[in-house]
Amino acid sequence: MNKKMSAAERREENWGWFMVAPTIIGLFVLNIWPFIQTIYTSFCEHLGFGRYKFIGLQNYIDMFSTPEFWKATWNTVWFCFLTVPVGMVLALFVAMLLNTKVKFKGGFRTIFFLPLVCAPAAVAMVWQVIFNGDSGILNQMLGTHIQWITNSKTAMVAVAIVSVWSSVGYDAVLLLAGLQNIPKTLYEANSIDGAGKIRQFFTITLPMISPSLFSVLIMRLMSSMKVYDLIYMMSDDTNPAMADMQSLMYLFYRSSFVAGDRGYGSAIVIWTVCLILLVTLIQFWGQKKWVTYDI
Amino acid sequence: MKKIPRMTVAVLLLALLLSMVGCGASDGKTHLSFQIWDTNQRDGMKAMCDAYTAQHPDVVIDVQVVSWSEYWTKLEAAAESNTMPDIFWMHTNQLLYYADFGMLADVTDLYDDVESGYYQNHFSDISLGNVSGSDGHYYGVPKDKDIGVLVYNKEMFDAAGVAYPDDDWTWDDLTDASQKIYDATGNYGYLAYLDDQLGYWSYVYQNGGYILTADRTACGFNEPGGKEAMEFYIGMQKENWCPDQNFFTQNGAGATFWSERGAMFMEGSWSLLGALRDHPEMTGKWDIAKLPKSPNPVSTPESLDKDGRACMSNGLCYATGAHGKNLETVKDVLKYFGTEEAQLIQGQSGAAIPAYLGTEESWRVAFEQYGNPINVDCIFEQFDYAIQVPYNSASPRWKSQVLDVLTQIYAGNQEVASGLDKMTETVNTETAKKLAGN
Repeated sequence: MNKKMSAAERREENWGWFMVAPTIIGLFVLNIWPFIQTIYTSFCEHLGFGRYKFIGLQNYIDMFSTPEFWKATWNTVWFCFLTVPVGMVLALFVAMLLNTKVKFKGGFRTIFFLPLVCAPAAVAMVWQVIFNGDSGILNQMLGTHIQWITNSKTAMVAVAIVSVWSSVGYDAVLLLAGLQNIPKTLYEANSIDGAGKIRQFFTITLPMISPSLFSVLIMRLMSSMKVYDLIYMMSDDTNPAMADMQSLMYLFYRSSFVAGDRGYGSAIVIWTVCLILLVTLIQFWGQKKWVTYDI
Repeated sequence: MKKIPRMTVAVLLLALLLSMVGCGASDGKTHLSFQIWDTNQRDGMKAMCDAYTAQHPDVVIDVQVVSWSEYWTKLEAAAESNTMPDIFWMHTNQLLYYADFGMLADVTDLYDDVESGYYQNHFSDISLGNVSGSDGHYYGVPKDKDIGVLVYNKEMFDAAGVAYPDDDWTWDDLTDASQKIYDATGNYGYLAYLDDQLGYWSYVYQNGGYILTADRTACGFNEPGGKEAMEFYIGMQKENWCPDQNFFTQNGAGATFWSERGAMFMEGSWSLLGALRDHPEMTGKWDIAKLPKSPNPVSTPESLDKDGRACMSNGLCYATGAHGKNLETVKDVLKYFGTEEAQLIQGQSGAAIPAYLGTEESWRVAFEQYGNPINVDCIFEQFDYAIQVPYNSASPRWKSQVLDVLTQIYAGNQEVASGLDKMTETVNTETAKKLAGN
């Protein structure tokens, strides 16, 4: 097919390009070009004030031979383990509760969605007070004396709790949309066939919302792997547990902006991008086994 | 597809152009921007600028406050794109980095027409050290100086029947008083929190140790004096009268003191007026004293023979970019900022202790509105044996690494001695790298 476009068609195409130009230019200037620069920077030493010296793989060699870096990688993976499964199960549970006939449904939906509306800095501050080892309400309720934020074993758990708390509402709303798209007739037919609630959940609900679950899973994993702000706000440079709660992105921030070593920082970013890419690829391959797009 | 009328396009373009033109000021005056990071000092800085513009009506100075947390990211980005503010505050920690890269205007000969040796005659060695680049030239006009003091709660001392800290107080007196106060009142004694300028630095120098040698090329964390001081300072958290680092990270030393749960802590002179303003209910209950001295300072060739006394002092300066558009006008403003008149305005406004020798005490005026409740004398007396905060051009690189090792020591994952070796090695390696690169 080699049909020539008419003048009108060509004009229309030009207008199309003109209309999407702001987005494309924005994407290129703000995302793609900086990403290319980051790749280049990761092979450089930052001399200062935007001047770089090419040093090849040195940043990567330094990075892979630093225990701190491997610790941060492990911390990030550990954080994902702590937040993603629990967060998903909780979100699904909440979504299903909100999908039933309860009183004040609108009120509950608002409450679960509220954490997302709150300013993260305020959220972190309130949780700091709750977790406080000496006067925190959590210890008083449990009757314990755990230094949640400064103990190397509990610090990451504390951050994970806040993370799950603030994301459950949003995930639940996404899943709720999925739940409401399931035709009622499926459940009716199923119960006529004599299936109980639990069987209904596994044979109808789960397969039907698996596409929603899949997108929530991908988003949640990506944001967990990029966790930075919560750690920055809940912790402090002088925290004795810092080494055990430092994520890859936090290490990047410290290298690039505190120590001014932007080359090394960029190498950490590239490593993180590779990790996320790998995990996402695995998920897209894995989705064939459990995600149902049509029944 | 409908055609957009040519007229509409023309009008839109015209509006865009006009809005761009509108950005430039057109009152014939020179507009200068002046960037600082401390809101508390805005009025003092404004007063100083007003005094200058009263004499130079053709200049307008706009004081802008940028918070400390974004100040350096912004300034560095501005330096890269050559859009730095006309005048800005510079910190000792960053000055070498900016100066060595040629980002700051050399102001060494600023006062040549006024007086030869103006800087040496009117500013202390520490102030001049704070504005010197690696080449020995001056890259800023000294602004102020600060120092750490021991803040203590008089009521707790009275309750425990312990005499208030005096000029001869040693570390032993500090720990004794802490123990007695803890036993008598149940409140914490001295709050020995992890901090450099308001923490272990002073102890190291008091004990005859050093963080950096005088030429700032080598580190001395693991020298006998420093080692003993670090062991003492870190060890205090093991006493029952001192909270541990877990506590300080979550609660803060200042908040503990001001909520009357601790008897003593080290605070910077720059925070005292704010404390009087923010804790009016505490006025009269607290006072300040000189830092306690080391009982047995170690004597080495590098150590400063000061009878166990030492106190870290830092100071800011006013600087300008090397390639600014209004460089001549800006230099004239900077020149004014370094005069006795301008420094007096700064002192009297309570903004900070002026760097200009002889004007320091003007800062006392600011305490009158509170009825002079604290012993400000000890601040000025401490300047006699003050030591410049230890920074070198590699500081940004080693500071966070040193802090990492320290948190590991406080967490109990690292012995003090081996940790100090590690810190020394880090500082030396980073410094050597930097020196080799220049």
